[in-house]
Amino acid sequence: MQKKIYLVVAMFLLGACSRQLTEDPKGLVAGTAALSNMAGLEAALTGAYGSLMVPWESGFTTVSQIAMTMGADDLTTHPGSNKEEFREFDRFNVSSLNSRMTPIWLGCYKTIQSTTNIINNYDAVQDGTEEEVHEIVGEAYFLRALCYYWLTRLWGAVPVIPTEEYSPDLLELQKSEPATVYRLIEEDLAMAEQWVSNEKRDPGRPNKGAVKALLADVYLTEAGWPLKDASKYALAAAKAKEVIDNKGAYGFDLYQDGFQQIFAGGTVEDVFTLFTRGQWSTYNSFYGLSTMPENEGGWSDFFPELRFFHDFPAGPRKDATFSTEFVVDGDTIPWQQVSTKHPYYKKFRIQSGNPYTYMSNNPVIMIRYAHVLLIYAEAQARATGAPNAEAYTAINAVRHRAGLDDLQPGLSGAAFADSVVAERSWEFAGEWNRWFDLVRLEQVAAANASKDPGDLQPAGAITEEKYWMPIPGNDALINPNL
Amino acid sequence: MKLTALLITIAFLQVHAGGHAQTVTLSRQQTSLERIFKEIRKQTGYYFLYTDEQLSGAAKVTLDVKNASLQEVLELCFRNQPLTYTIDNRIVIVKRRPAAAITPATPPADITVTGRVTDEKGEPLPGVTIQVKGTSTGVVTDVDGRYTISVPAGNAILLISSIGYNTREVPVNGRTDISVVLQAQASGLNELVVVGYGEQKKSTLTNAISSVSSKEFRDQPVNRLDQVLQGRVAGVQVTNAAGSPGGSVRIRIRGANSINGDNGPLYVVDGFVGAEFFSINPNDIASIQVLKDASATAIYGSRGANGVIIITTRKGSKDGLKVNFTSRFSTSQVINKLDLLNAGDFAETANAHATATGTAPPFTTEEVADLRAKGGTDWQDEIFRQAMAQEYMLSLSGGNDKSGYFISGNYLDQEGVINNSFYKRYTLRSNIHSKLTDRISTFLNITGSYSKAQNVDIPADGPHSPLAQAITWSPTVPVRNAEGQYTTADPVSSVFFNPVALTTEQLTVTDRMLANAIGGFRFELLPGLSLNLQYGANYLQYENRSFAGKVVNSGTATTSVRNNREIRLQNTNTLNYHKAFNGGHTIDLTAVMEYQQSTYNFTQAGASNLTYEHFKWDNLGLGTPGSPSSGYSKWALFSLVGRANYAYKDKYLVSAALRRDGSSKFRENNRFSYFPSVSAGWVLTEEPFLEHQQTLSYLKLRASWGLTGSEGVGPYSTFSSYSRRIASFTNSTFLNGIVLGNIGNPDLQWETTEQKNAGIEIGLLRDRISITADYFIKDTRDLLLNEKLPLYLGGNTITRNVGAVQNKGWELAIEGAVINRGPLTWNTWLNFSFLRNEVTSIGSSSQRIFDPNNRRIGGGMSPQSEFVVMPGQPLGAIWGLTYLGTWKPGDAKAAEYGAAPGDARYLDLNGDNVIDADDYGVIGTGMPRTSVGWNNTVSYRSWTLNLFFQGLFGFDKLNYNKAAAMYHGGDAREATHVDILDRYIPGVNETSDIPAFSTTNRNFTQSTRFLEKADFLRLKNVSLSYDIPGSKLKNAVGIKLFVSATNLFTITDYSGIDPEANSSAGDIRQGIDFGSYPNAKTYTGGITLSF
Repeated sequence: MQKKIYLVVAMFLLGACSRQLTEDPKGLVAGTAALSNMAGLEAALTGAYGSLMVPWESGFTTVSQIAMTMGADDLTTHPGSNKEEFREFDRFNVSSLNSRMTPIWLGCYKTIQSTTNIINNYDAVQDGTEEEVHEIVGEAYFLRALCYYWLTRLWGAVPVIPTEEYSPDLLELQKSEPATVYRLIEEDLAMAEQWVSNEKRDPGRPNKGAVKALLADVYLTEAGWPLKDASKYALAAAKAKEVIDNKGAYGFDLYQDGFQQIFAGGTVEDVFTLFTRGQWSTYNSFYGLSTMPENEGGWSDFFPELRFFHDFPAGPRKDATFSTEFVVDGDTIPWQQVSTKHPYYKKFRIQSGNPYTYMSNNPVIMIRYAHVLLIYAEAQARATGAPNAEAYTAINAVRHRAGLDDLQPGLSGAAFADSVVAERSWEFAGEWNRWFDLVRLEQVAAANASKDPGDLQPAGAITEEKYWMPIPGNDALINPNL
Repeated sequence: MKLTALLITIAFLQVHAGGHAQTVTLSRQQTSLERIFKEIRKQTGYYFLYTDEQLSGAAKVTLDVKNASLQEVLELCFRNQPLTYTIDNRIVIVKRRPAAAITPATPPADITVTGRVTDEKGEPLPGVTIQVKGTSTGVVTDVDGRYTISVPAGNAILLISSIGYNTREVPVNGRTDISVVLQAQASGLNELVVVGYGEQKKSTLTNAISSVSSKEFRDQPVNRLDQVLQGRVAGVQVTNAAGSPGGSVRIRIRGANSINGDNGPLYVVDGFVGAEFFSINPNDIASIQVLKDASATAIYGSRGANGVIIITTRKGSKDGLKVNFTSRFSTSQVINKLDLLNAGDFAETANAHATATGTAPPFTTEEVADLRAKGGTDWQDEIFRQAMAQEYMLSLSGGNDKSGYFISGNYLDQEGVINNSFYKRYTLRSNIHSKLTDRISTFLNITGSYSKAQNVDIPADGPHSPLAQAITWSPTVPVRNAEGQYTTADPVSSVFFNPVALTTEQLTVTDRMLANAIGGFRFELLPGLSLNLQYGANYLQYENRSFAGKVVNSGTATTSVRNNREIRLQNTNTLNYHKAFNGGHTIDLTAVMEYQQSTYNFTQAGASNLTYEHFKWDNLGLGTPGSPSSGYSKWALFSLVGRANYAYKDKYLVSAALRRDGSSKFRENNRFSYFPSVSAGWVLTEEPFLEHQQTLSYLKLRASWGLTGSEGVGPYSTFSSYSRRIASFTNSTFLNGIVLGNIGNPDLQWETTEQKNAGIEIGLLRDRISITADYFIKDTRDLLLNEKLPLYLGGNTITRNVGAVQNKGWELAIEGAVINRGPLTWNTWLNFSFLRNEVTSIGSSSQRIFDPNNRRIGGGMSPQSEFVVMPGQPLGAIWGLTYLGTWKPGDAKAAEYGAAPGDARYLDLNGDNVIDADDYGVIGTGMPRTSVGWNNTVSYRSWTLNLFFQGLFGFDKLNYNKAAAMYHGGDAREATHVDILDRYIPGVNETSDIPAFSTTNRNFTQSTRFLEKADFLRLKNVSLSYDIPGSKLKNAVGIKLFVSATNLFTITDYSGIDPEANSSAGDIRQGIDFGSYPNAKTYTGGITLSF
């Protein structure tokens, strides 16, 4: 009997089930195995794009980039309603807690994390050819450059993330100056230019032409404030020219069958476009209700400033850019009678399907071929001090489509460049381009100097401090080095 | 593992009784059994096992035998004794002789006495033992409480006893008819209390355990466990975060330790560890023990850190069949509503807003007049309703000497006060127990429950909460248009969905099916030594179905179904040893081996763009398919426990326990942990110096120390992993991708709570009043914390062991029979808990950690996380700005902030003339510091009145409901609350601190402007019942009728709908009230039949 009890007690103590206590995380994508094959690498790249298209949370499918560029003269917002946060951008008193900044800040950094992971670890891929791997990694370089470009243009000095692996010292990361950030952007784009092929793998991806177009845009910006490296104008012109010269190979051109059509995406004009599917998966939330007046049941988030609208040259482009009449309860009313007494952007109206929604499958067009033409025109003129014939050809192609006459020939380099900048403001009205032009050319104060009394006025003097956004407050609270 | 358990079973089943053939020679006159046993032991080598208590009632024996067999001698010794014996492997085990089995072996009786035993209310008491004092003669009363017994002539005395009643001695004095009334025991000190892995006499407990007996709630319409616990136990805080039927509830024992883990207590039902709280039918509960201090909970080791609630369900007794049927009907309405503008006032206010900001007024003068004349829509009235409920309960119980059964069923069908929400529950329980042999008994408890809940956990975030929308939609908009279709958009105020449509076109349904079985064997190995083998299984299957119609989902109908299955297995093997030694020493030893595992799977599928909307989730194929998903996780826990209790004369009490847990959630080096505890008690009233006095009937001091733990993380937390993220590359498809998700931390380990407790228990006036007070300090260290990394690092979450939290406080419970005179009785239970919670450290890396679940309510209403964890602050610290009212005319400083007179003014903490992230600070706490419960039962003859008050004090709430209705920002473009009429109006009302309509105003809702004290005292229950005494009815049916009211009134300064409701179930997030389901005022009537 006693022996039996000892036996039982022994079994009590020895019955430790170490095997049962070892975890087997079935179905969990964990550790380095994730990137060990082509499918995993591709999935990581898809995730990188995905972070640019999570509505309201991360990326460019929300009204964030429009809100953040409201300091320009082509965009303003509702003076009342629930538009406090939008008004902060328009009136140049942006709080570090303005939540409209978050999707861009987070979206870019999340994509930087994913692409850095790909770039640092693609060596581990066991299958696939080198070419196939390079295609994926090339796109990753492109996306990372695109994200740093957006970050440094909006926030100036920003942290550069050295690794995708977390360590506590990253919580004390210092900011890098724009010059450093731009150097990284150029390096990444150089790699992308090498590895991305001429043909887009999908409509929503870059090809070599898209990489070059982005690089041209980067050069143009580097030539202006804050780096003011004028030598970059020539590089911008050269890079844009490479795209123009090979537009057939890249499948780019100006789309001629109706200006508004471009904004539904999928035309030859697309150089780099983020596509959305709608239907509660990926969707675009700044097309539709966001751009419609309250009278139509819209949210009235953004619309053009009055002086900009009045100065906009008439023609088919103007007609396609702005909505000036609205149907309310069967009656058509002019823009002067809507509650905000402003016209709205027709570009971002939903062209097919239910227009009264904030979830559509519309694209976010990041770079279109007109950009390439006008980058070339401006950069060529500024680089050499005199526009050449190709520069005139480039701007006139855009003007013709807009229903405008040829630009006056024989302009000086400066005057020609100014014309291009004006042309850019109309061509890309509302497309978050104008703000970056005003910043790099240090014209923000001038553009806001004589506002229509019917528009919101700046809260104070517009200094260069206002060119950059405050680092989002929640991150700055965690890392005081920001 | 399973093999081990099986081997143990076999090992013990082989225990067998040996033969005996030795003889005894003995001659003694009137000698005590104890001495005779000693003699027999010497001669035969057989040991005797007995307790002093057993022998104290034995008669002296005269023996004269020569070479008699052991059996013969024992027969002689035990003849005419209230004792019997069995022999097991050379051990004579002395047992009490079952009363009913006593055969009248005494000489023929002189008198036959008959009579009836009843309780104070005149109800018959079956199963009462009637014994002739000093003899072994005894009988048991029948179902009607009647008995017949033969007693010797002379000075016989009847000893009448029954568990739970005071024993009475009645001299026969020649009478032949003796009816007796037994009084229920006033003191429960001798009752056995279920503690972890065993039972203990209440008077010998050395730890803080509170009990709730079913009599404290049997007169109240409770249908869920939280209603049973609410306000009845000192140190237990119950908050109905959602007032919906079956809605979420927060139960906390002595505060919240953990930031990350679930702070809810561990439920142990009939030995099943980690039972599902929602499936417990209060009607099945026999008793509840709440284990509070570490010496009580440490026995549950890694699962005991948040306290343990042990529930024992009812058993069949040997009384024969008892049937009980209860039916209740109730009606409920919302306890309060917000005071919102009528259509006319709203239209005028919206016009004033437009004029002030230079936009076109939305309403013409005629329209305003028309709205004023016709009235508009009262959206609150549209979504709230009078809700009905019905509940039926039936239980059968019975048994005989050897076995018993308890079978019960319950059906609850309860509507919620928000339109189209309901909860239905069916439960079935079958408990059986049986004595297989003298030494082996078995039990099997099976319970099954099915429940269906629709729209009870409404999303508390703005766009999809019917309530949040009802308080922000314009009263000028009709519910439906002329064609009878829902109005799809509010052109003036809210940007989101029609509140009424949100109740009918947005459905969230949860179907839950639960089966739980626990059963086992108990072997009496040796006197005092028993082995319990228990096996439990819990099968939980639940299905989440959701549907959103076009009108509430931006024109696309979507639906999804998710099936979840969780299987939990448990094996618990317990050895208990109890021994009383000469001289008043008793020891109790317990050893436990336990293994638990849980496996969880889910599959999910969904579709959008439904071809036939009314099919909802029943035909996913006819829609655009969404991505299916599935998942798996498993955890296991292996534990060894040892415990020793020692008592000297029930006066000096000491207890010590140690548990070792191994968890699969941690890596090798951190996998095992030890949880020790010690406690001691001193019953002063057992001391001679306190023995002979009347006032103080019981006084005990006790103290304890122990460690408990918490795993606090899900499985696989030590692995870095990816999560899914989709992307589109065309306008019609998407691809699945991955992004870095959880950052694995291989160094994760247990969160440990060290708890010290000192308590005093006082009984006054023969225990008519009992007072228990406890003081405790709980220090939780290696706090498991989900820390959200900054967005520039991807905003990922990492779990780390950082920091420490301290909870300290004291509890006081007073229980008393205020009036106990004749037919009138008044019993009262009063309890207070005072709790101070403080984060003492969050590690070295940062100053503060924000709640990772930033709610971002209403597009910019709260730009930062509302809750912060920082040293020196309570766990639920609310983070916000300090509101200073409006800028007044002539204050030049306004311009420095870009503000105009009438704009909101906030405290500029760092004085940089910008109201920014740097100006936020801790402005309040969402965690109540004080809770009070006061329960009263007054009985007068057949009438019973119950009054139950509950209160929570010392906490704040961000009233985001009011903010949404006042702030004309976020997702609502206009103000709807009547307070907006008192706003600052330049030149008209410049003293107001409600900001003016302006283009320069900055509203931060996350500020003291919308922070309110949420203290409240509530009459939780008042009920009156009338018991029709069995004697008044011709048949044996007992009938009880009752009416009651729940949440009848609330005393509070809180201006929102319900100070108790909040938007999130987590502990650090309880300080927000936004769109959450408010509590209801309920009137109930019902009937109970028993026979």
